[in-house]
Amino acid sequence: MSLLNVRVQPRTETRPAPARRLRAVTAPAGLRRPKLAYAALAVGGALAIGAAQMIVSLASTQDAFALAKLNNQQRELSLQKQALGDELVALNSPQALAAKADAMGLVVAGAASYLRLSDGAVLGAGDAASWVSTVTPNGPTKVGNALLAPPPSASTETPADGADAQGSTADGVPADGAPAADSTAQDAATQPDLPPAITDGLPSPTTR
Amino acid sequence: MTTRATRGTRRRTVVALAVILAVLSAFVFRLIDIQVVHADDNVAASLSKLSNSNPVPGARGDIVDENGTVLASDAFVYDAQLDPKLIDDYEKQTDPKKKPKMPWAEASEKIAAVVGMTGDDVRKLVSDALAKNPNSQYAKLKNGLSTEKYLALRDLGLAYIANKPRAIRVYPNGAVAGNIVGFLNGEGKAQYGIERMDQQCLAATNGSISYKKGQGGVRIPGSERIVGAVDGGTVKLTLDSDLQWYLQQMIGEQAQRQGAKAATATVVEVKTGKIRAAAEYPSVDPNNVNTVDPEYWRSHIFSDAYEPGSTFKAITAATVIDQGKATPLSHVTVPAREKFPNGTVINDAFPHPVYDYTLAGALIDSSNVGLSKFGTQVDPATRAEYLERFGVGQKTAIGFPAEQSGLLRDPAKWDGTTMYTTTFGQAFTVTPAQIAGAYQALANDGKKIDLSLVESCTDADGTVHEAAAPQSEQIIKPETAAAVRQMLENVAVQGGNAKTTKVDGYRIGLKTGTAQKTDGHGKYKSGVFFTSMVGIAPIEDPQYVVVVTLDEPTKMRSSAANAAAFQQAMTQVLKTYHVAPSSEPMGPLLPKFN
Repeated sequence: MSLLNVRVQPRTETRPAPARRLRAVTAPAGLRRPKLAYAALAVGGALAIGAAQMIVSLASTQDAFALAKLNNQQRELSLQKQALGDELVALNSPQALAAKADAMGLVVAGAASYLRLSDGAVLGAGDAASWVSTVTPNGPTKVGNALLAPPPSASTETPADGADAQGSTADGVPADGAPAADSTAQDAATQPDLPPAITDGLPSPTTR
Repeated sequence: MTTRATRGTRRRTVVALAVILAVLSAFVFRLIDIQVVHADDNVAASLSKLSNSNPVPGARGDIVDENGTVLASDAFVYDAQLDPKLIDDYEKQTDPKKKPKMPWAEASEKIAAVVGMTGDDVRKLVSDALAKNPNSQYAKLKNGLSTEKYLALRDLGLAYIANKPRAIRVYPNGAVAGNIVGFLNGEGKAQYGIERMDQQCLAATNGSISYKKGQGGVRIPGSERIVGAVDGGTVKLTLDSDLQWYLQQMIGEQAQRQGAKAATATVVEVKTGKIRAAAEYPSVDPNNVNTVDPEYWRSHIFSDAYEPGSTFKAITAATVIDQGKATPLSHVTVPAREKFPNGTVINDAFPHPVYDYTLAGALIDSSNVGLSKFGTQVDPATRAEYLERFGVGQKTAIGFPAEQSGLLRDPAKWDGTTMYTTTFGQAFTVTPAQIAGAYQALANDGKKIDLSLVESCTDADGTVHEAAAPQSEQIIKPETAAAVRQMLENVAVQGGNAKTTKVDGYRIGLKTGTAQKTDGHGKYKSGVFFTSMVGIAPIEDPQYVVVVTLDEPTKMRSSAANAAAFQQAMTQVLKTYHVAPSSEPMGPLLPKFN
């Protein structure tokens, strides 16, 4: 920026101070009447705000009660769920299922057979499943579960069916563990105070 | 120019200002004191007076099997207590308006009916407590009430009963996998098994909830502050609980039948090293650990190291073949009793004339002398190295609580007898888990994969942390493994247990072991053994390794006692995992003698 472009303003003469404008009033100006509408608006507005706040506050307090009620309800329902869950626990455990299945005459069979779809060939064991269970869930040896009440059927049915089991072994039902079966038969004979061990399961189902 | 009047006004202004400022600064000082200097104390004081704060306990994580079946989880029970003083006060109350509707005589009967006591018992609890201390506010009614009983008590609407919830650990499947899952002690501290091994994943982080209460106990909206508890993660095991149950039931029956003290059955998946079942008898029920001897609280599959005996003849055979010193058809002259050059005498377990045994034959008849002759063709240092490769002397990668590493002595210090006995599984110790690991390598073409028991840990927010991928190592040549498997199949077919161990539809390979037990005084116990049977199926495409052990069977004292248990275990494993039956017939039998 060149100094040539700067326009120097000529200094103006200082003027004498203007005469004082204040003068003594002759009479006070008449008071203007305040407008009622403004006042009403202001007070009304304040009241409206107050009312709105109260409504909101009431509503939220009401919600707190509703929330508390719902929370109580939820707690109650979860307690009921918990109580029902307690009753079900352990009922789906393998021992419980096996004991019930066994009481109904189901057996745990031996090896499985497979049917090949392409040519209809039977693979695997190839013979019908035996009547004899490979394990006896209601026998004297059990996988424990303290959560299960002792099944009433086990103690009442086992001795009776035990006799059947011994009989069927004598009939010559082939068992995989034949030597073991013999030894248990001896075991049962030497220890008459124990419930007879059923080595070969429950061959006669009691349900149809 | 100042007049007197203006000076007076100014002074008054200054004084007023000074007073205002002084008051203002006092307020400011107090404000800063309250809001800044003592802010924390004040907030704490206000919270303690105005609000309630309760800890929010997080739930310990579940333990589940490979299919998600819950093996351990948290549940609540309730500890009920009475307030004897309040009961007494009610009884003495004369104002009928303040008296409860139900008199104590009636209430005590109802309480008794719920908790399973007699009314007299309940009244005695209260009168005893009052006799001891007339102002007693506590008398224990009953601990560990179920939710159902708690609800029944609560619905009686009696002011003097308090029920405190308490988290307990529940094991829905009881003793199924009890030795593996482990348990907590009374204080909730993990004692054994996975509970202890995976404590870090299972443990919860407690949170807290604080809030202000209005009239009537209603929480003031917006005043709640919740620091959420973080529940523990879910540990997923590699076990199958149904298979586990079957094996526990079966091994228990077999142990009883054979009059054995204890028994185990372990199943390992060949291609992954995952343990699919680890059954033991006696097995602890984590819901009530006192039903078995404390010795059986730990898992014997991991914590019982014993001299394996003949099952390790297969490892000796693998060593000799891998070193190129023999083939399955190599042969040596074997008398029933041999005195070796260093004076060591080795006997076979059965009398026989001098045989020209092949390596396969020596395995089939489980000849100690034969294996001594084959095994010593490889120097002791190399043999020890092979044993180490097969996992002897080091814990499995699982790192199970109380796991034993077993013992393998420095080959440089092997004495004359050890030189030979190590060829047939004596003078070193292994756990059943280590045996399963060694046979996994034979089954998996010589590639040993670290055993694993834990599949993953899933955080409460659903993030799954898979267990670190197991390490694997090629420890012998695939051809060596194939040759050993061929011999193991011949053991299964030509050995003494061929009939009793046959699994219909499948070709299997197996080896028995009858180990002597130390009596704790440097000698072997006489007449009782630790018998085992290890098998691989299907032998042409190995899928599973099964190890069955019996501790001191008394009906049959040899490893033949394990035959029925092994046969049932293998059958069930192949059935559970739908393994296709063998379709290729077995090759020609290997000759036992040259």
